[in-house]
Amino acid sequence: MRWFILLGLLAGPTAAWAAQATPDWPCIQGRQDHLSLGQVWTGPPADPDRRADPAITALADRVVQRRMPLPDAEAAIADFAADADDMRLAALMQAVFDRIDHQRSNLIAGISRYGHQQARLAAQVDARRARMAELGAAASPDFDAIDAEEKALDWDTRIFTDRQQSLTYVCETPVIMEQRLFALGRAIASHLNP
Amino acid sequence: MKTAVLILLLSATPALANKVFVSNEKGNDVTVIDGDTLEVLGSYPVGNRPRGIAISPDGKELYICASDDDLVRVFDPETMQELHTLPSGPDPELFVLHPSGNPLYIANEDDNLVTVVDTKTHQMLAEIPVGVEPEGMGISPDGKVVINTSETTNMAHFIDAETYQITANVLVDQRPRFAQFSDDGTRLYVSSEIGGTVSVIDPATQAIIHTISFDIPGVLPEAIQPVGVRVTADGKKIFVALGPANRVAVVDGDSLEVTDYILVGQRVWQMAFTPDQSQLYTTNGNSNDVTVIDVATNKAVKSIPVGQQPWGVVVAPN
Repeated sequence: MRWFILLGLLAGPTAAWAAQATPDWPCIQGRQDHLSLGQVWTGPPADPDRRADPAITALADRVVQRRMPLPDAEAAIADFAADADDMRLAALMQAVFDRIDHQRSNLIAGISRYGHQQARLAAQVDARRARMAELGAAASPDFDAIDAEEKALDWDTRIFTDRQQSLTYVCETPVIMEQRLFALGRAIASHLNP
Repeated sequence: MKTAVLILLLSATPALANKVFVSNEKGNDVTVIDGDTLEVLGSYPVGNRPRGIAISPDGKELYICASDDDLVRVFDPETMQELHTLPSGPDPELFVLHPSGNPLYIANEDDNLVTVVDTKTHQMLAEIPVGVEPEGMGISPDGKVVINTSETTNMAHFIDAETYQITANVLVDQRPRFAQFSDDGTRLYVSSEIGGTVSVIDPATQAIIHTISFDIPGVLPEAIQPVGVRVTADGKKIFVALGPANRVAVVDGDSLEVTDYILVGQRVWQMAFTPDQSQLYTTNGNSNDVTVIDVATNKAVKSIPVGQQPWGVVVAPN
């Protein structure tokens, strides 16, 4: 329960589209496990036989990397498009989509695990507090045990808070990946024959 | 003398014609675009978390829901200087202006109220209790009926604009976000974000006469989340922004069939026509841009980068 309150405070104001934060999905952003190609692409569908084309897979592997600046990715796509027909462009789009959707799904599963770890840690913090109260209320308190418990509590609280602060960034990452996919889709589509 | 009057007349209108104002929810500012050149003229701070945006019929006052400031801020659209503020109640998200320019009806998401504010005296006129999480606001072209949609109650509430009493409640699909009348007042369109539909309501009988649903090849149904709705003056075309589907649906006003799904930008929510209705601007919250749609051909003609998380858009009247 405490954890939910903490989470609520740290997650900031809830938006109209805000999802209810749970250990499964500790983000205010709506959870969407998979993306659809149609969200980013209105060109022709890819021919499944073309996906194994080494030039296409190599280029897709490069441009999906977030460390590659977008203008560089756009330039690489433009080079490829110079002698590629619409079907090759469609195959490249599908390859890019498959990679980003796969990475994003893994990330979402990771966020879920993160949420559950936080819930466990919050429960542990509560248990330690209860234990300290119990030790302090004893007729002849064991001060060594109280000190040890307090130290452990400090650590757990610190780890919990640090992780909670990272959550804002972690929760934004699926959207950042979607933005990259959309931008790459726009770049590839710009080379389609009108 | 005659010449002076003419010059005044000529210079009064074109100065503002077709400026486009976009509220950026995360950027806490408004981006101003020249509607003729489609160039960004500048961006201006407008308070915390600006969402709903409207302009007075005479084009002299720009209203912005500063959601995290719990008030409506009023700006001079020409200079983007703040003129004054209006009381709005907590967390104002979306509002609608009476066709005459007064009053302003504001949805308060957090306390289940619609606040009515006089734009001339800056006084609160009424607080109307509605359903849970009020959001969408619409007003009939004759200004007699105000519509509020409540996201959790899943209703469109019909409110008498004079008595502030709720006269009817219409149950629609899950999480209604936006309400829009046709210009002739014979139809009311209410979008449902989670339900994935638009309810077409006859305002005279308050009955749902049709439900528009959307099916985009290659897009998972859960990504289709209708929000903004705009109808051309002749009622022939209805544009529906489909949120994370990144598409704007074009619906035929007669058959109520979808004729097109235009790919715009990411998480498209709100839209605004130019005064001549030749173009439609869409706000794309995740790609941080607005898309200009050519209304005649249903084509996306340009995307214009704006601020962080664009939410609402309004175009200055002629």
